[in-house]
Amino acid sequence: MTASASEIAAVAVLPDAHVTTVDPLPKQRRKGGIVATVILFVVAVFWVSPLLLLVIQAVRPLSDFVAHGPLSWPSQLTWTNFRDAWGIGKFAYTYRNSALLLVLKVPIGVLLSAMLAFALAKLNMRFRRTVMFAVFLGLTIPIYITIVPVFIMLRSAGLTDNILGLVGPYLAFGIPLEVLILQSFFRQLPDSIIESARIDGASDWRIFFTLVLPLSTPALVTVGILDAVATWNEFLFALIVLSSDTNKTIPVGLLSFQGQFSNNSTGLAAGILIAVVPILLAYALLQKWIVGGLTAGAEKG
Amino acid sequence: MATATAVVPATAAVAGTPRLNKKKYGGFRPWVFALPALIVYAVFLIYPAFNSLFFSLTDWDGLSPTYNIVGIDNYTAMAKDPVVIQALLNNLIWTVVTIVVPVIVGLALAILLNGKVRAKTPLRLLFYTPCVLPLVSIASIWGWLYNPDFGVINVLLRDIGLGALAQPWLGQDSTALAAVMVPAIWLRVGFPMLLYLAALQGIPAEQYEAATVDGATRAQQLWFITLPSLRPAHYIVIALSLIDSFKVFDMIYAMTYGGPGTATQVMGTWMYANVFQYYQAGYGTAIAVVITVIAIAVSIPYVISQTKEHA
Repeated sequence: MTASASEIAAVAVLPDAHVTTVDPLPKQRRKGGIVATVILFVVAVFWVSPLLLLVIQAVRPLSDFVAHGPLSWPSQLTWTNFRDAWGIGKFAYTYRNSALLLVLKVPIGVLLSAMLAFALAKLNMRFRRTVMFAVFLGLTIPIYITIVPVFIMLRSAGLTDNILGLVGPYLAFGIPLEVLILQSFFRQLPDSIIESARIDGASDWRIFFTLVLPLSTPALVTVGILDAVATWNEFLFALIVLSSDTNKTIPVGLLSFQGQFSNNSTGLAAGILIAVVPILLAYALLQKWIVGGLTAGAEKG
Repeated sequence: MATATAVVPATAAVAGTPRLNKKKYGGFRPWVFALPALIVYAVFLIYPAFNSLFFSLTDWDGLSPTYNIVGIDNYTAMAKDPVVIQALLNNLIWTVVTIVVPVIVGLALAILLNGKVRAKTPLRLLFYTPCVLPLVSIASIWGWLYNPDFGVINVLLRDIGLGALAQPWLGQDSTALAAVMVPAIWLRVGFPMLLYLAALQGIPAEQYEAATVDGATRAQQLWFITLPSLRPAHYIVIALSLIDSFKVFDMIYAMTYGGPGTATQVMGTWMYANVFQYYQAGYGTAIAVVITVIAIAVSIPYVISQTKEHA
């Protein structure tokens, strides 16, 4: 969907990928390396220093920033930047819209992809290879080839300037990656379980919902997280489809906010932080799942 | 790898004669599961892609109810459009730089993190952080760092006495493209790092031990054991980065809008400008078609290998 979506495709690419939540770093028994650790931490802090600098600007008054520049320690702390940015950036709306889109899109996307992946992996579908090729090809298609026709479709359906209009395109662009990951996971479920359920008279639906999905929880969670990140961050379609401030998602709202605050560094810093802090928190909390999903199976290479 | 016999256990009886064991398909049932996703995929991706192909043969402005079919005029016009040439060149530079630099830096970080280092998890977390941020916010952050007057980069240069080097990084032709690639590199390092790190941990320690016994130096071990073992990871990293880099749009749109002048135009932004700013939807979609064809041509080996891998 966005750049990060296909970065995430790693799982998929790895032969016989196991989607797993196991942290790929094994327990380290070797001790030592204090010097290397310190050096790497210094580099890492430098690496994230743009974010740290943002925090410093966001908590100081503009006058303090103007007087002392961005590389000084704040002489005074304030919350007003956040209050101003929240109001002027209309974050109350953009947060609501982005959250609503996430809640609508991600579960539907994961369910549809899981169903297709189930058919491809376990149901002896005819033209399986052709369907797979067509779906995987979607990973490589730049999203902007579709924008003009999709925009026309949405306009005739009256769904422009409405986050509901984004659901269809987002689903379509999420499907290739999700199917790739999920079907490679489903294939590893033993056929014997499915066969014995079938002998007991279970229908395909029953097998799908009561056997396949529960057994695949780790893969579903990973796919759901990756899909959520891609949905939250998507920019191009949101830019084209959504026009009024109260209907925008966070990335598009942030862009117009950036324009208004170009001469107010501290307010701009606060606004950027408002937009990214939830993602950073979610990332810190869920990093095991994200990293596990990204690198699953890489060891096997 | 999934066997074709999953739903027909009876065929196990003829397993001895696999040639005669004709595949039995699941009939209509699999399609009940497959069709919802396939319909969405066809309606919002496949059909629009072909529809764009059609629009690229018209002179449609994007607004009027009518248009004329002009054949390949849009494509011949592209060949004469200096901005298209520049955009293609910029796409190429972007592709090479934002693949090569992150792969090298990511590999170096992975090798360091795989060595005798403590607190690997927080270190990995920090280096990967930029990858989860929305591209637009990364563009905002770096736009702010690059600000000619109060941006951190110029302020720092002045503070350390190199004020002569302070310049409008995004505002002049000579530096703009490089300046928009830096944040792209910043955001892309984490992914190869993670993949290489996972791959490195899959190399058996015995290989290094044996090499050490045989008197191999650290450099020799890196060259003869580590790098060859990472070949599958190289393939994945490079294939995915290649696919990604053709799609570049967000970062450039949000940082420079293709400017100054046309210095940072890429095919994605030039298409957008034509469709939504100059009302040349026919020409704009032709640009999109060209970049899509290039992207598919470059990544088709990857798609085929994936299909084979999984089918």
